[in-house]
Amino acid sequence: MSDKQYRHIGKSSDRAEALEKVTGQANYTADLEFPGMLYAKCLYSPFARAEIISIDVSEAKALPGVKAILMGDDIPYLVGLYMVDKRILARGTVRYQGEPVVAVAAVDEKTAEVAISKIKIEYKKLPSIQTIDEALEGKILVHEDINDLEYIKGVFFPQPDSNIASWNKTIKGDIKKGFEEADIIVENQLTLPAVAHAPMETHVAIAKADTYTNKVEIWSSTQSPFGVRKLLAKALNISTADIKIIVPYVGGGFGGKAGIHLEPLVTILSRMCKGRHVKLTATREEEFNQLPTRAGMRGRVKTGVKKDGTITAVEIYYDWDSGAYADYGVNVGKSATYSGAGPYEIPNIELHSRTLYTNKVFSTAYRGFGHLETHWVMERQMDMVAQKLGMDPYEFRMKNILRPGSHTISGEVINEDSGRPDECLAAVAKEIGWTGYRSEAERRENLSTGKLRGKGLACLQKAPAMPPHTSTSAIMQMDDDGNIRIMIGAIDIGQGANTVMAQIAAEVLDMPIEKVTVICETDTSRHPYDWSTVASKYTFMGGNAVKKCAENMLKQMKEMAAQALRTSTDDLAHGDEYIYHIHHKHRRIKYKDLALGYAYGNGNGIGGPLIAKGTYMADGLTFLDPVTGQGLPALDWTFGAHGVELEVDVETGDIQIIKIASAFDIGQAINKKLVEGQIIGGVLQGIGSAIIEGYKFSPQGRLMNPSFTDNKIPTAKDIPIEIIPILIENPQPDGPFGARGVGEHPMISVPSVIGNALYDALGINFYKLPLSPENVALAISKLLE
Amino acid sequence: MLSKFDYIKPQLLTEALNYLEQNEGTRILAGGTDLMIMLRHNAESPKHILDIKAIPDTNRLEYEAKVGLFIGASVTVNQVAESKLILEKYPALTQAANYLASYQLRNRATLVGNICNASPGADLAGPLMVYDAVVHIASTEGTRMVNINSFFTGVKKTVLKWNELVIGVSIPDVSKEDTSIFLKQARIKGHDLAIVGVTARMTDEKKIRLAITSVAPTPIRIVELEESLSLQPLTNELATMAAKEVRNIINPISDVRSSAEYRLHICEVLVKRALLHLTVMGGK
Amino acid sequence: MCEKHNNKENCITYVDSGFRKVWINCTVNGESVYTHIDPTMTLLNFLRNELKLFGSKEGCGEGECGACTIIMNGAAVNSCIVLALEAMDANILTVEGLNKNGKLSILQREFISHDALQCGFCTPGMLMSARALLDRNPDPNESEIVEAIAGNFCRCTGYFPIIKAITSAAKLEREEMNNE
Repeated sequence: MSDKQYRHIGKSSDRAEALEKVTGQANYTADLEFPGMLYAKCLYSPFARAEIISIDVSEAKALPGVKAILMGDDIPYLVGLYMVDKRILARGTVRYQGEPVVAVAAVDEKTAEVAISKIKIEYKKLPSIQTIDEALEGKILVHEDINDLEYIKGVFFPQPDSNIASWNKTIKGDIKKGFEEADIIVENQLTLPAVAHAPMETHVAIAKADTYTNKVEIWSSTQSPFGVRKLLAKALNISTADIKIIVPYVGGGFGGKAGIHLEPLVTILSRMCKGRHVKLTATREEEFNQLPTRAGMRGRVKTGVKKDGTITAVEIYYDWDSGAYADYGVNVGKSATYSGAGPYEIPNIELHSRTLYTNKVFSTAYRGFGHLETHWVMERQMDMVAQKLGMDPYEFRMKNILRPGSHTISGEVINEDSGRPDECLAAVAKEIGWTGYRSEAERRENLSTGKLRGKGLACLQKAPAMPPHTSTSAIMQMDDDGNIRIMIGAIDIGQGANTVMAQIAAEVLDMPIEKVTVICETDTSRHPYDWSTVASKYTFMGGNAVKKCAENMLKQMKEMAAQALRTSTDDLAHGDEYIYHIHHKHRRIKYKDLALGYAYGNGNGIGGPLIAKGTYMADGLTFLDPVTGQGLPALDWTFGAHGVELEVDVETGDIQIIKIASAFDIGQAINKKLVEGQIIGGVLQGIGSAIIEGYKFSPQGRLMNPSFTDNKIPTAKDIPIEIIPILIENPQPDGPFGARGVGEHPMISVPSVIGNALYDALGINFYKLPLSPENVALAISKLLE
Repeated sequence: MLSKFDYIKPQLLTEALNYLEQNEGTRILAGGTDLMIMLRHNAESPKHILDIKAIPDTNRLEYEAKVGLFIGASVTVNQVAESKLILEKYPALTQAANYLASYQLRNRATLVGNICNASPGADLAGPLMVYDAVVHIASTEGTRMVNINSFFTGVKKTVLKWNELVIGVSIPDVSKEDTSIFLKQARIKGHDLAIVGVTARMTDEKKIRLAITSVAPTPIRIVELEESLSLQPLTNELATMAAKEVRNIINPISDVRSSAEYRLHICEVLVKRALLHLTVMGGK
Repeated sequence: MCEKHNNKENCITYVDSGFRKVWINCTVNGESVYTHIDPTMTLLNFLRNELKLFGSKEGCGEGECGACTIIMNGAAVNSCIVLALEAMDANILTVEGLNKNGKLSILQREFISHDALQCGFCTPGMLMSARALLDRNPDPNESEIVEAIAGNFCRCTGYFPIIKAITSAAKLEREEMNNE
């Protein structure tokens, strides 16, 4: 626990830009209007897999007010973050129901809508791949040209003539030997469906392409402006210097707005319209059906344990139903390899993670980046192994949990400062009053009341999934009133990045926070680089960059002040917006008097305007060995645990969560209120995945719930009675003020902990999500028969 | 929305009926919570939209002792939900109104709109059916009354002719001992369409009325069970047996919201709970 | 075909989609509005595209998510499924009208201090549902607050901070009323 006294760190200052948001002044991309702006709309494939025979746009073209009609054949480019496999509009064949085939730009939305309705497309329906087994079987190839696709070699491993976009592995130790040493071997299969990010603001992009050059300006609701810039440059074969991405306020992302989505389409439409702005706003149905999801997944896990609970070997196959394009989904599949066995010491492991192509809407990054999915499998497995051992699942976890000296499955050594999953688990177990599983007798006793209670535990871990050489940067300037302006490359999508960075800067400079502002509306042509606002890495990386930036500003101020005060920088201190001599404190200069350089009484000037920079490069990380998955991929581990107490109505299957305690070793909270906000919001999103959410497809691959009517997310009536955030603070030495990230972690293991509590309550193990009233009630009634 | 329509908001019923007569295919707009969504999805493209909210009779929510309650076609679901009189006399109707949808939607949705949309899962249909409500239908040819139990003819289909307009629904008065309950199972605790909706009523003469929604092409009364339940005092055992028997009477489908198996299961649960509630209430 | 170009065929500078416009008269945030609109326009699009009040948002367009919630004649409604014409002679309040003489209202201040928002997209609609609640019920209990905002989806906050903010705002508003 840190006992330092900070001015801003750890305090709950108000969120930056909260005023703009509560007054309706905050402009999101959909709120932007430009003179002469055109509106785009798309026409989608009704089939999961089909050949495009003909497209007749003649009637649409003839409509007054239609300025451009775009088809796949007009666009020779391919796009893709890791596998370059996606057409901007379908060309030749369609690969998922919902794939855009034609795009129209017109003077207003009504005209665009009418134009779309007048387009006639003839398809030849083809059989499609709808399940994981069909994908693995490979009788039909979603990408017939998979052998020829460009991809990042050495990191992803597409299998020739298959639907396997990548087969990644971790191989450590010798599982054959490990299983031989085991007293008990437990095998299980668990699955979960695709879910939607459902940010309240859908995807929106506006492009203005210059008529005479390759230049394009784009406004986009995105988490990755620099990523978009790079991918767009590559896709269109232009220079990154020609591209400017501007990010207004973003109404939530959750990973769905990372990577590149609508930007290439609006760029090309704008080019076709001689440079007029073209705006494409996804409707909510398009958000569900055209834009990407979290992947469905099947996990097959086999665990070998000794009688005393020591894990000797684990073998896992994660198969990801990742949809028609690899997008970010293939990286989710890869990242399962270094983290997908939970926070435990496992001496012998073979983990296979296969990202599969299917003819469904494709998957992308989603809060947790595969960890909610893998922890659904692993944390349920941990409980089921404990059941077979007759051991308390708390004790079983504690027996194997990572402690200083342990190794992760990618071979990294955990030390005293890596974080303490055991403390998290102990804290939540205490909060819910865990005393072990109920007995069967206890369950029967309470059955007559119609409501059964149960408690559950689950652990979690995640480190940012990012390239080992990821970097970020910050620039800081001071105006002559002494106000600080910080420019960063990350986006505040609601997680509070702008607030946290201002706090860190204000702490280093010892200034009131009201005078420190992070500039909104990140613009890639002005703001300094950040890889992407994902992975729960920004407090750590950006925080370090901003800290160094503030220290750089202090250094510049001290150098000028040393001259002005005729002393050396070693004898200068700072505080309360003054640089002052450490002993003769009256010898001091206000920050603002150095902002534009320092002016002596006789008119001499020294120094110059204060412009500070700070950068942070991920330190000492490595690629993963392509065969064994060994390496150092983890910038910082945030460990955590949930403890839940719930009540089940045994007749209807309704679950009421009474209390959920969620502990995370975050090192040092920079803003307590914001951390708790992430925990409460993330836990509820996890409850959504656990109990409510899930895409439903018809056997032919049509999405049956493409709107909020049937694709539900938690409402205010779906909250638990209590969510208890618990902040554990064992500082991370290389984190800013000891901080680690926590943005994604609250969601992870929520479905597992609820599944585990259902076992305690009912004596029934669940293997599929969602744990809807229907699924729970029917399982109970089967048992009671 | 591709529709190009003329919008008219008549102040008089006769004006509205004449307009309907002259413009076949006119769609009625009250709360718009169903119509607007159909327009958005281009499921309908009417050329005429007739807003009934200015027609005086349609705004009446009036009770007359011994006669009953009149609910005009423009009366919102929130007006129904917040009426103390309805809570006292027809509690199942209050409960169904509260569960219909979110507060904002209930400020717009109308009771009459809910039955005219005639979804198999119309939440308000069950309570109206157990109370034998009467639908007041007007056209240029005059007014006719149709019992709600004969109003629905199929999925989203009613007896309404193309030139007819519902001006309101009347519910016969009930005595103090009369009681009812509405239970709904959804996928979430928040507002949602029903997987199954069950309405049960015990009249002052201890007769049982039972209606279920979302288990057939239309909302239905379980007349077979009503008769046997009404012949004897309602006990816990009888309630449990009757609930089981419902499974043999209904034939629900599987759809995106629920499997048929769960519908059968939850129907039994909710019918049992509803009838048990009536035994408790009826015991007073 | 458009009025601007004397109903000529094949007009190539369409500025509207050819519907016959109608007049609408209403009061929005205390100001009189009298203008000419497309009759198929929704109230939400009227507020945003005609009046440039971008505070109210479209989250789904079908009355499910509540991001478009405004107050019409005292009632909270989803403006995305109300025809603009239905607002004839109506009194409309949007998030832009919540301030008290240019100062943040108590409700808005409590949202900030309780961190009842993250990305902010649901916030205008949430505030309007809260405003409508407090206008009809100055002392709501927790279940009444939950019911009032159950039709406003928030993906970020988990709702707890919003409920706390509204509870606190209700108390402070009652105190202010008592002091007046």
